[in-house]
Amino acid sequence: MPKIDLKSLKKRAEKEIKNSKNLKGLNDIYKKYLDKKGELSKVLRSLKKLPKAKRIKLGKEANELKVYLKKIIEQKNKKLKERSRKQVYEKEWIDITIPARKPVLGHLHPLTQVKRETEEIFQLMGFSVIEGPEVETEWYNFDALNIPKDHPARDSWDTFYLKNRLLLRTHTSPVQIRYMEKNNPPLRIIVPGRIFRHEATDAYHEFNFYQLEGLMVDKQVSAANFKAVLQEFYRQFFRKPIKIRMRPSYFPFVEPSFEVDMSCTVCLGKGCPTCGRTGWQEMMGAGMVHPNVLKNSGLNPKNWQGFAFGMGLERLAMMKYKINDIRLFYKGDLRFLKQF
Amino acid sequence: MLFSYNWLQSFFKKKLPKPEKLAEVLAMHFFEVEEVEKKGNDFTLDIDVLPNRGSDCFSHLGIAREISTLLNIELKEFEDEVQEINNNAKDFIKLQVSSKKDCNRYTARVINNVKVGSSPGWIKEKLKVLGLKPINNIVDIVNYVMLETGQPLHAFDLDKITDRKIIVRRAQRGERITTLDNERYALDKNILVIADNKRPIAIAGIKGGKKTEIDRKTKSVVLESANFNAKTVRQGSKTIDLKTDASWRFEHGIDLNLTESAINRAAYLIQEIAKGKVCKGLIDFYPKKPVAKKIKLDLNYIQSLLGVKIPVSKIKIILKKLGFNILKSSSSEFLVGVPTFRLDISIPEDLIEEIGRIYGYENIESVFPIGALIPSKRNFNVFWKNKIKDILKEAGFSELYNYSFVNKKQGEMFGYDVSSMLELENPLSDNYQYLRPSLMPNMLAVFKENQKNFKNIKIFELGNVFLKKRKVEEKRMLTGIMSGDSFYEMKGIVDTLLNKLGISDVWYDQYKPTPEDSKKSVWHPKKIAEIKVSQEEIGFLGEISPKIIEELKIESRVVIFDLDFKKLKKLASEEAEFIPISPYPSAIRDIAVLVPKDVLVEQVLNKINVIGGVLIRDVDLFDIYEGEELPDGKKNLAFHIIYQAKDKTLSSKEIDEIQNKIIKALEQELDWEVRK
Repeated sequence: MPKIDLKSLKKRAEKEIKNSKNLKGLNDIYKKYLDKKGELSKVLRSLKKLPKAKRIKLGKEANELKVYLKKIIEQKNKKLKERSRKQVYEKEWIDITIPARKPVLGHLHPLTQVKRETEEIFQLMGFSVIEGPEVETEWYNFDALNIPKDHPARDSWDTFYLKNRLLLRTHTSPVQIRYMEKNNPPLRIIVPGRIFRHEATDAYHEFNFYQLEGLMVDKQVSAANFKAVLQEFYRQFFRKPIKIRMRPSYFPFVEPSFEVDMSCTVCLGKGCPTCGRTGWQEMMGAGMVHPNVLKNSGLNPKNWQGFAFGMGLERLAMMKYKINDIRLFYKGDLRFLKQF
Repeated sequence: MLFSYNWLQSFFKKKLPKPEKLAEVLAMHFFEVEEVEKKGNDFTLDIDVLPNRGSDCFSHLGIAREISTLLNIELKEFEDEVQEINNNAKDFIKLQVSSKKDCNRYTARVINNVKVGSSPGWIKEKLKVLGLKPINNIVDIVNYVMLETGQPLHAFDLDKITDRKIIVRRAQRGERITTLDNERYALDKNILVIADNKRPIAIAGIKGGKKTEIDRKTKSVVLESANFNAKTVRQGSKTIDLKTDASWRFEHGIDLNLTESAINRAAYLIQEIAKGKVCKGLIDFYPKKPVAKKIKLDLNYIQSLLGVKIPVSKIKIILKKLGFNILKSSSSEFLVGVPTFRLDISIPEDLIEEIGRIYGYENIESVFPIGALIPSKRNFNVFWKNKIKDILKEAGFSELYNYSFVNKKQGEMFGYDVSSMLELENPLSDNYQYLRPSLMPNMLAVFKENQKNFKNIKIFELGNVFLKKRKVEEKRMLTGIMSGDSFYEMKGIVDTLLNKLGISDVWYDQYKPTPEDSKKSVWHPKKIAEIKVSQEEIGFLGEISPKIIEELKIESRVVIFDLDFKKLKKLASEEAEFIPISPYPSAIRDIAVLVPKDVLVEQVLNKINVIGGVLIRDVDLFDIYEGEELPDGKKNLAFHIIYQAKDKTLSSKEIDEIQNKIIKALEQELDWEVRK
C-alpha cells in the first residue's frame, strides 16, 4: 500500500491548475485528479482498507481536498473562459466607420407624397377627393366653364387637340362641372389630376403637370371663407404660420377672380431673395364660382354659391423640397427619385 | 402691355405716386405689373391687362380711369375742339357697308390740306418709349390716339382711293393685298376688307394697304374709326396668321361710342399738328346703338359673397368713380347703370368684383365656413391606388411619372399601329405625337437611361393610357419593371401584391396571343403568362422580347408586369381573416419525382395537395434538376412537404400513410416516377 500523501497531492494539483493554459488542459487536470479513475478517487477508494480512526480522518481530509480542488478548478475555468472570450473579442474587432450596407428600399414619387398630404389636409376639412378623365370635350374644358368659343380668353389655355376634336384637359376644372351634374350641394371636393398645356418646357414649365382643383358650394360661402380654408391648408402643409392674400385676376369661370399669394415660407413675409424681397409668393388662381358655371352644371345660382381654386402640385413639391427644375419630376432619373 | 408713366401723369393735375408705388397699388387692386423700367425721362409699366379688361384698358385712358378711382384723384378734362370747314365730308367720299354683320359702326372724317411731315417731339417720344416707330405726323397721330383711347384708327390717302368710294365687305377668293409693311396676303371670304371700287385697300381691323398709304405728297386724308365684329377680326387674323395692335384690340371688343370720340381726337390733333382742314360732318354708319345695361345689385349679396360688410356709402363712391350710375337705390338694392365702355360688366357678381377689388381683398378677414358637418366621402380609386403604391414601395420598387406621349416608332415597337393610337392635332414635336397606348415604352426608355447609374432596377408607374377604339378608351394601368432574368421574382411580386390586395384565386395561364398580337409580340415567346383571377385575365407577366431589348439598346434582360388597375380595384377587398397558428408540431418529408420535361410544376403540386388535403400545410419546391445523369427528356422535381394538423399531433404512422398515398398517386401518371 503506497503512502497516502494528501499534502503533496494537493501541492501538485494546485501547481498544475495554476499553470494550466487552456480549458482543455484544465479539463485534463480535472480528469487526472477528480474523475472516477483520478488520483483522489483512488485515494478515497483505498481508504476502505485502513483502520477506522485513520479512515475517518483521512476520509475527511480527502473529501475536503476534493471540494477544494473542484472549487479552484471552477475558478480557474472561469478565468480561462474569460480570457479566451477576450481573445475572441480582440479578433472580432470591426471598423464601425465602414459605410453602411443599405437595405434596398422602394420610393414613392415626390408628387405622390405631396398629393397624399394635400388630400389628407383637405379631407380633414371635409373635402372629398374626386377624379376625372384626362381626355376631355371642348364643352367640359371650356364652354361649360364660361370660356366661349372665339373669345381671346380661350387663348390663355394653350391646348393640345386630338385629331377627333377632343382635347387634353388644360385644367382640372372640368371635373367641377362633371361632379355638380351628378351631386347636389352642399359640396366640398378637391380634384388632383394630370393636366396638359401646349407650351415649351423650361425649369418652370412642363407640358404635362398636376393640378389640385378645389370646389366648395353651399348656401353661403364667401371669399372670407375661401381665405380661411386656404390659409389653414398652407399652414398645415408648410407647418408655418402662413398668411395668404388675394389680388384681382381674371378667370372666366369665377367672379370675382383672385390671384392668391402666400407669405414667403422662407422669410415669413419679411422679404428675402426667395420671394424677390416682396414677402409674398404667388401660389394659385381662385375665385367665387361664376353663376354660369353653376347653371351649366344644372344648379340654380340663386340658391347656391361657392369658391373654386386650382393650384399646381409641382410648385408645392418644389417649395417643400427646394427642387429647382420642374422637369426632374418627369425624367424618371432614379438618382432623383431615390431621394424621396 | 406697356404704358408710359408720363403719359398716365398727363391725365392728372395732381402728382402721381412714384412708378414703383403706383405699380404696387395697381397690382393689389387692378392687375399685376410685370415690370417697371426707366426709359429716358420716362418709365414704362408692363401691366398684365387680362382679357376681360381688353375692351377698356388696352389704353392709357382706361388705366388713368382706374388710377383716378384707386387714388381718388380727378381726371383732367380735355378741351379739344374740331373746327369744321364748310366743305361736306360726304361730297368727298362715299361709304358703303355691304357686310353689315361684320361692322357694328363705321365713322369717317375727311381732312384736307394736310402737311405731312414729322411729328412733334412729345408724340415721337411717347411712341418710342412704347416701342413704336414714328413714321409721319398723320400715321403717328393715328397710333397715338389708339394708345390713348384704345380705339384703332386708320388713315387713307383720299386721292389714292379709286372712285373715292369705301366699301366694307368680305374679300373674294383670289383677291390679294400688299400691306403697309410690304407683305403680300392672299385673301378669302373669311377676311373682312375695306375696299375701293377696284380692290381691297385695307384688311379691316388688322392692317392697312400699301396702295392708299399716307406719304409726303398726301393732301387729303380719310380717317377711319370703326367698330368691327370681334369674332370676324379674330377669324381673319387667324386665317392670315397676322396679329396687330389693332386686331388685338378688336378681338377683345370695343365700346361702340368710342369710335366717335377717338376720331374727333385724331381729327383735332391733325388739325393742330398737320394744319389740316376738317370737313364738315362725321360720316357714320351706326345701325344699332347699344342699350345701356342696368343691373340689380342686392346689397346683402355683396356681403354674402365677399364675406365682409362694406359700408353703403363706400360702395356708392366706388361705383361712381368707376363710371357706373346708381339709377335707383333702396336700403337693400341698387339699380346700377353700366357705362358702355365696360363691356365686361353684365351681372351682379361683376359689380361685386369691382367693389371688392377697389375696397381691397386684403381687407377681407378670413372666416371659417359654417355648414353641415358632412364627412368627406372615401374614394376607393385613391384608396387602392395608395395601397398598391405602398405595397410596391415595400417590395423595393421606385415610382415614376412619365409623359403621357409617345412617338410613332415607340408605339409601333410595342405593337400599336397608328390606327390604334390617339394622334394629336398639334403635337409639341414628333416625339410626342401620340397619347401613350401603354406605360411600357416610356418606362423602358427611362429604364435604359438609369442603367448608366444603376445595376439593379425596380420601377413602377400607375397612370392612364389611351387607345383608339370605337370611342376613346382611357384606361389606368399599373406597370412594373425589374432588371435581370427575374421572372420568378417578379411573379413573387405580383403574387404578393395581389395577396395584399385581398385578391384570391390567382393563377397564371399560358399566353394566348390574338392573331394581331402574334405578329408583333413585345414578349419573349417562352416567358410570358396571362395573370388570371378565376376566369378573368387581369394582366400580363413576362420577359420583354430580346428583339426589343436589342432595339432599345438595353443591356440586361427585363421582366415586366402590366396590370389593369380598374380590374384590380374591382377585385380588391379589405376583408382579411386571421388563420390560427397550430399548436401541434409539423413534420417535413421530402419527395422527388422524375417527370417528363413538359410536365408543369403546378400539375405535380396539384396532385400532392389533392391527396394531402388539410393535413398539408405547405409544399415547397426546392430543386429542379435536368442533367446528363437523368434519362432523356426528363427532369427531377424535389419537394419538401410540410405536414401539420390543426387539432392534434400527427403520428409518423399517419404521415407515412399519406406520404405513401401521394407516391402512389404520382406514380399512376404515365412516365412519372417517384425516386426512392
